Amino acid sequence: MVVSTHSKPPPPPTAVLADTDPRVLRRAHFFMRLSRAWDSRFEAMARVGRIGRWYSAVGNECTTVGTALALGANDSLSTVHRDLGAVLTTYLDPTRLAPALFEDGDQTAWDVLRPPPQALLDTLANQVFGRRGGFTRGVDRSFHYGLIKPEWGIRHVGMISHLGAMIPVAAGLALANVQDGTDRAVLGFIGEGATSQGDFHEALNLAGVMKLPLILVVENNRYAFSTPLSEQYACEKLSDRAPGYGIAGETVDGLDFDAVHAAMNRAIERARTGYGATLLECMLPRMRGHAEGDGSYEMIPAAEREEYLKQDPLVRFEASLLARGHADQQRVERVTATARDIIEDAVERALLTEEPSLAEATRPVFAPGEVATAFARQSTEVTGG
Amino acid sequence: MAETTYIDAIRRALGEEMDRDASVFLMGQDIAAFGGPFRASRGLFEKHGRLRVINTPLMESGAVGAALGAALVGKRPVLEMQFADFVSCGFNQIVNNVAKTYYRWETPVPMVIRLPFGGGSGAGPFHSQSPEAWFAHTPGLCVVAPSTPRDALGMLKAAIRDPNPVIFLEHRFLYRREKEELPAGDLLTPLGRANIVREGTDVTILSWSWTLHESLAAAAELAREGVSVEVIDLRTLTPLDEDTIFTSVRKTSKVLIVHEATVTAGFGAELAARIADQCFEWLDGPVRRVAYADRPSPYNKKLEQSLLPGRERITAALRKLARY
Repeated sequence: MVVSTHSKPPPPPTAVLADTDPRVLRRAHFFMRLSRAWDSRFEAMARVGRIGRWYSAVGNECTTVGTALALGANDSLSTVHRDLGAVLTTYLDPTRLAPALFEDGDQTAWDVLRPPPQALLDTLANQVFGRRGGFTRGVDRSFHYGLIKPEWGIRHVGMISHLGAMIPVAAGLALANVQDGTDRAVLGFIGEGATSQGDFHEALNLAGVMKLPLILVVENNRYAFSTPLSEQYACEKLSDRAPGYGIAGETVDGLDFDAVHAAMNRAIERARTGYGATLLECMLPRMRGHAEGDGSYEMIPAAEREEYLKQDPLVRFEASLLARGHADQQRVERVTATARDIIEDAVERALLTEEPSLAEATRPVFAPGEVATAFARQSTEVTGG
Repeated sequence: MAETTYIDAIRRALGEEMDRDASVFLMGQDIAAFGGPFRASRGLFEKHGRLRVINTPLMESGAVGAALGAALVGKRPVLEMQFADFVSCGFNQIVNNVAKTYYRWETPVPMVIRLPFGGGSGAGPFHSQSPEAWFAHTPGLCVVAPSTPRDALGMLKAAIRDPNPVIFLEHRFLYRREKEELPAGDLLTPLGRANIVREGTDVTILSWSWTLHESLAAAAELAREGVSVEVIDLRTLTPLDEDTIFTSVRKTSKVLIVHEATVTAGFGAELAARIADQCFEWLDGPVRRVAYADRPSPYNKKLEQSLLPGRERITAALRKLARY
């Protein structure tokens, strides 16, 4: 098997779940399945050309959900394109979305703040289809938006395509928390590819100097588009860079829920108590291409691809649930089917919605005020009318 | 009453807005105890502390990005670039992240990026540039360049209060040379409004910042020769106050655009295009530009002076234009 030095597959699934709160495990299982169901549906649509492009999060679910579950109301979240699991975990009250899967006492105080989950899921589906009902009403794609609703306990900033550019923004969200004297933290995601960009350095250096409550999770899936790790960096682990910034660093198996969740809880504790930032590298298998059907998947050696496909975090998580008696086979199937039905319904509803009004294309670039008024006074030749 | 210099006006605006609104904070290199290389924030660190007057490491991109993050959750960051030339290191954050946020997901980005810019002091290719056109080309940025202490004060205060990103160009040559008496009180200058600084009937000059003063000197010279020149200080480049410009051009029928930035694809080209489009029937002569030659700014002062669009070149251009 030809595997580049840095592309070692993760260790076999030996770890079993520790004494994690069963309420956390129920939530984790549901959101991981919900994320997977969404990807399965969108991958299928991408294959038949019903959606332009899809960046699959298959393989990332344990990391995105395992970290996001550690957040509390009004912690901030910064995501890139394989972080659907974190978005769903942060947005949705699962006890209202899938009541049959949860028990009394599963609903948290934050869940109560959150809006009706079905509506938010529909908005997300509309967003991905570029429809009128999406967060951007058709002007930007998939996860290229933010949702800042303190009254819902949600502070989410999505991506721009430059990726690394979001790391300083996450640091700025953390800076605002320090200025406000709160103990709120920021969870930011980035792929290993963007750790080679200058913004990664500038942001983590600032986070170190100012002891910002930032947890930057690097989803290391071993290929940046088509570029393997051996051509991306020469250090052994990306977390080795953390001491260079004076921040904490850890590398964990991103398929091991216990390890991810525990490392995130350690990091958030540091953030909340003034010990500053953490660089948390989660090693992931590359189970899909950069985008579906763009040819990058085929650049990975076939034997390596096969190894990665065996590392499915959902399979491993559910095996652990069964082994520890946290669920039986029937429950696993019920969670899977419920998640699939919820996503199927949301997608079907979204496909029936309207295209955005053409007026969205020329909507204001300035928030209301003196500048926006001056912009609108200009001749139509300039405003595009 | 004591006179206020341009840089004192900047400091007054920062201080007043920080007193007025606890969400306003300053970020930049060497701005805390040191007060910045031009002392724009002198005294503010002592008054407001390290969380509101933040010294950053030597970083531009990361500082703009961090300011954006803070702005998204309700802060009003005012970021100082040590020299405008260095803003190129933060260009991606400004034109892709900051400028496009409101259009994309309709969350306001109240942020001011202060750029000490311009030549005239023999500072060479990397401390002399006039980068306004880089930003005027990007939808979603308000680009302003006040020429007087009064407007520096009033426009910086207005910029800090506006819910949008403002690129605030302060001319280094004017910092300690321009001074005027300013009354107390909450002095605001509206954004998006040009100012007719000198009324005239024969030729219109459109200018801003340092070249506005050179233009006024040239207009005075032409007055002695019997030519009446109207001088308009644009103050805000984007969004542009077209009403004031077009009204003046339709009155005088001749336009000279004067800016310090290099000529090709400078903001003057945009002005010329809009005037051609909207005032064609009124024009009695070519729309002319006086600007910097398409060269980096040389270090030797005599070399630099030979390229700067000063009063002599403006005067010569006015004389030619007046003859049409």
